[in-house]
Amino acid sequence: MSEHENAPVLCEECGVNEACYTISVMMNGQVTQRRLCADCMAKMNMNLAAGNVKHLLSAIMSAITGGVEAAAAAAVAPEDDVVCERCGTTLSQFTKSGKLGCPTCYTAFREQLTPMLQQIHGRTQHAGRKPLDTEAAQRRRAAWERLSRQLEQAVAVEDFESAAQLRDQLRRLQTEGGED
Amino acid sequence: MRHDIVLSSRVRLARNYEDVPFDVSQRPEFAAICVARTVGALKAAGQDKGFQLYRLREMPAASRQAMAESRLISRDLLNNAESAAAMVRAEDAMTVMIGEDDHLRIQAIRPELDLLSAATACFRIDDALSRQVSFAFDEQLGYLTACPTNTGTGMRASLLMHLPLLTKGKQMGNVGQLVSKVGLNIRGVYGEGADALGNIYQISNQVTLGRTEQELIATVTALGNQLCDMESALRDKARNEGRIPLEDMILRSWGILTHARLMPLNEFYQHWSNLRLGAAMGLLKTPLALVDALLDRVQEAHLCVWAEESLSGQAMDEARAACIRELLAMS
Repeated sequence: MSEHENAPVLCEECGVNEACYTISVMMNGQVTQRRLCADCMAKMNMNLAAGNVKHLLSAIMSAITGGVEAAAAAAVAPEDDVVCERCGTTLSQFTKSGKLGCPTCYTAFREQLTPMLQQIHGRTQHAGRKPLDTEAAQRRRAAWERLSRQLEQAVAVEDFESAAQLRDQLRRLQTEGGED
Repeated sequence: MRHDIVLSSRVRLARNYEDVPFDVSQRPEFAAICVARTVGALKAAGQDKGFQLYRLREMPAASRQAMAESRLISRDLLNNAESAAAMVRAEDAMTVMIGEDDHLRIQAIRPELDLLSAATACFRIDDALSRQVSFAFDEQLGYLTACPTNTGTGMRASLLMHLPLLTKGKQMGNVGQLVSKVGLNIRGVYGEGADALGNIYQISNQVTLGRTEQELIATVTALGNQLCDMESALRDKARNEGRIPLEDMILRSWGILTHARLMPLNEFYQHWSNLRLGAAMGLLKTPLALVDALLDRVQEAHLCVWAEESLSGQAMDEARAACIRELLAMS
């Protein structure tokens, strides 16, 4: 952006937003430039971050010459595609749309997502608020503590019958929702 | 605070249920789960007082569009009208959107520069909900969202700013550089692409991961204050050095807005900007709150609701002019 420009330069990808990034690539001794808005730049970054090294170059080339969609297609080769087992979203679907399918996608695509998140946010460790314990979790934890204390006492007085029952209850509690 | 330049402050939090796929717009069964769970959780937490549930598909199109024009719900929520819903507490512009890009978008809007109060209102709802339900959360990545640009805090803090003299003085290029230097984002609010009709801009945080909510709010607030100082300096200069041309510009717009019989939206923004500048600088007696209210009231769906009929073309411009005259006559 410059003070002297009255007419904004539109993003060459979406043609809607104002272009605020220029990417330049030297090809055959000639510099090719492409101007993108923040959204399309982020999308391209995701595409690039998702691809492995052997596809990175073709992704950049496609972004320069053929657009972000082509870069997405080039970014993930079929044999490298990863599927989220929970929702069925594939890595290539994600790189095309920029949208994940479900929370488990973060685990399924972690390898590709981590550099992407680093690129978008500059950091990959959360520093903000956390969810409070749900009431169910609080109840479970209180029950866990109570049963654990009873189990200790039962073992101390060698009341193994009660101890076995308490151990079973603790196991059930664990399978219900973890001990938290 | 700084109402002469900042129209409003908005904070929104993106949250998702851990056991439901992110996109529920094409899956009514999941959308229904999100609505029922959210409504139930707010009720169980005793935080449902004052909230009204709107299922978008059950509302007249103009009414739900009017809610989007007032920014109580987002355009993206409107696009998912078939499955989406919103819990709205109109008294303090608090909304929980259900079935947007993420399952929940908890949003609060406050007048003037007051992001902290908007954030506090959002956190109260967030905490109440998280006592009842499990959100998708990862110790390393924070809140998990449909789009990685929201991962982490899931928070977007934004200010709506009126910067007519920075725009007129061709300073927005410099402002853009300043904004990106501190990792924030700026865009025009009304109009297509790079337009900033009415000289209204939104600044907001770009990153959401790796910073605390307080840090993000402090950064946006600090930049908001800095832009206010820059705009204020130009206003002082105009008052001292070019008062007559300034008053002429403002009063001409006042004359047009109070007398025109047809008012296209694009032309409105230009005069609205001058009107707000005049009111903010004390050159007009019109209260700022009324000037700001005009912005919503002249939008298409608001006018259709106001005129109680479906409008288009010249009839729309006529209704807009009439609505403006009526409102400004009250000041």
